[in-house]
Amino acid sequence: MNVDRKGYFDRFGGRYVAEILYQPLEELERAFNEAMEDPLFIEELKRMQHQYVGRPTPLMKAENVSRLLDAEIYIKLEGYAHTGAHKINNALGQVLLAKKMGKTRVIAETGAGQHGIATAAACAHLGMPCVVYMGSTDADRQQPNVAGMELYGAQVVRVESGSKTLKDAVNEALRDWAGSFGETHYVLGSALGPAPYPDIVRTFQSIIGKETKEQTAELGFIPDTLIACVGGGSNAIGFFSSFLADDAVNMIGVEAGGRGEKSGEHAVRMSDESSRDAIIQGYKSRFLVDEDGQVLNTHSISAGLDYPGIGPQLASLGERGRITFTRASDREALDALKFFAEHEGVLFALESAHAAAVAIKLAQQKSLKGKTVINMSGRGEKDLFITSAVLRKEEWRSFLLDELKRLEETDV
Amino acid sequence: MSKVRIMSHLIAGYPDDEGMYAAARGLVEGGAAYLEIQLPFSDPSADGPAIQKACSEVLSRGYRVAQGMKAIRDLKVLYPQVPVFIMTYANLAYCIGIESFVASAQESGAEGLIIPDLPFDADEGLNAACEKYGITSVIVAAPSMSAERIEKMTRENRPYIYAALRAGITGEQTHLDESILSFIERVRGSSRVLGGFGISTGQQAALLAPHVDAVVVGSAFVRLITSASAEGPEAITSALKEKMHKLTGCTEPS
Repeated sequence: MNVDRKGYFDRFGGRYVAEILYQPLEELERAFNEAMEDPLFIEELKRMQHQYVGRPTPLMKAENVSRLLDAEIYIKLEGYAHTGAHKINNALGQVLLAKKMGKTRVIAETGAGQHGIATAAACAHLGMPCVVYMGSTDADRQQPNVAGMELYGAQVVRVESGSKTLKDAVNEALRDWAGSFGETHYVLGSALGPAPYPDIVRTFQSIIGKETKEQTAELGFIPDTLIACVGGGSNAIGFFSSFLADDAVNMIGVEAGGRGEKSGEHAVRMSDESSRDAIIQGYKSRFLVDEDGQVLNTHSISAGLDYPGIGPQLASLGERGRITFTRASDREALDALKFFAEHEGVLFALESAHAAAVAIKLAQQKSLKGKTVINMSGRGEKDLFITSAVLRKEEWRSFLLDELKRLEETDV
Repeated sequence: MSKVRIMSHLIAGYPDDEGMYAAARGLVEGGAAYLEIQLPFSDPSADGPAIQKACSEVLSRGYRVAQGMKAIRDLKVLYPQVPVFIMTYANLAYCIGIESFVASAQESGAEGLIIPDLPFDADEGLNAACEKYGITSVIVAAPSMSAERIEKMTRENRPYIYAALRAGITGEQTHLDESILSFIERVRGSSRVLGGFGISTGQQAALLAPHVDAVVVGSAFVRLITSASAEGPEAITSALKEKMHKLTGCTEPS
């Protein structure tokens, strides 16, 4: 692994936090390292991954799509995990760790809501009170996940500052933690932030790659290409990490191409010249910032891919050329979502549909050689509010109007 | 009894250029020992809601770091006797280039820099650049620091240490207890201590004043600027001057 200094991946990573958070991060790092050496912790986590999360998640051959595209495509159905995405792997691991540390309260940030809902569920399962910070823009467009978090007993706090999205939720969670770390653990949801978070999140997410390696081995092959979408990058680093040492495995990270090339229309950090080295939210990486270093607005149809930065290890692996980064637009992601739903009976989350879109594109260009595995990091039911508004606008509109009418009638 | 020394907080460009000069005037005429001027950053995760909201308002006008530096230069021309510290976040210094940033801070007449998310032992060359340009880089110390880390910090022998007195964000009340006073003693070393986080009343300032070189008051001023700004610059000046009198003159019975 390319860790040269503690907490760094080449020049990226580090722990750029106000002094107040230094000690809680040290405490977390110690506790995490101890837990990873503790057979009881590992056993308990494994048991819950199996009995509660539903692991292992399946690996399936996409027979129809492979035939249509003249390629050999497999899908790691990670979205079949409980709460609908890979996020539960990290949330469950960290909430269990928080319990082991003697913490009595958990906080989390969430963008699309998937990390929030996973943390809320894990907290309910393990009997911990949970507060989730969520940008108000995200909360508005991901109402089903807000409802889900509340069903699991979490308190969802709407964040009205800045761009009112994921990065602002992270700021708010950091503020809470700076005043509450004595009894509170902050469950950060992506493989970024100050050390040791990138290591913790990668470790808990690495089960995706480990299972994929075992499952492909059972079928008698080593994948030639792995494709994953990259927001902050937790599903990608978890999927890729078991294969990093094998140079023959080609890895592709797909960023949100959004609706255009201009600043504010996408969230492309690695596959063009839009980003810069920056130090934000406790770590150094590639970020979308202006000349002064102010964070720029981003856009993606998927709330999980519009974060302006990228996990430090992925930034380093991208610069080293170990991972190839590319992009898919909003439109391409929607088309891929429809394609796989119609032909394979598999519904990708909008985030993961970006990875599917690139598989389709490469296959059409005849450059998808050998066996490819796409990580479907999330399933798409959570996005029905968004996809319906685009793909069947009129029907959706009349449903909502009728639904409102029904609601008001039953209210009386 | 001696007057309480106050380091008072301003946000460059807030509520607007004219209002900021009016605020500075109120603070200086009220007797500020130091001015701490914050260059707004889009993601100020160590600040509370009052400062955060003010910063995003300034940035929504397209405010640039260079404008902030110029404002500081102007204030130094008006009030050469009051030392100014620039407070901001790592990324503004880092993206512009640590050395260029320090050079322009020095050129603006600032005494030093306070950048809480550049830890003293991973500061990207900030302190070295400050030494080169003859200004000071102020370490922000916190009560959660381990004894080893405090010792490592005091070995730096910096001219100033900023002691963040409570575990948390700016803008909430502070209760001064024994642990806070012992924390101040432990971080002091050979440095002058600027102590604050959550100080908003004359009574709090008077409690703290004997133990520090200056008492830092931040969010309380920003909130006052916010509420006075609707009535115009004169209202800002007089509100801040009055508040400053309360903070500095608090040794008299009220």
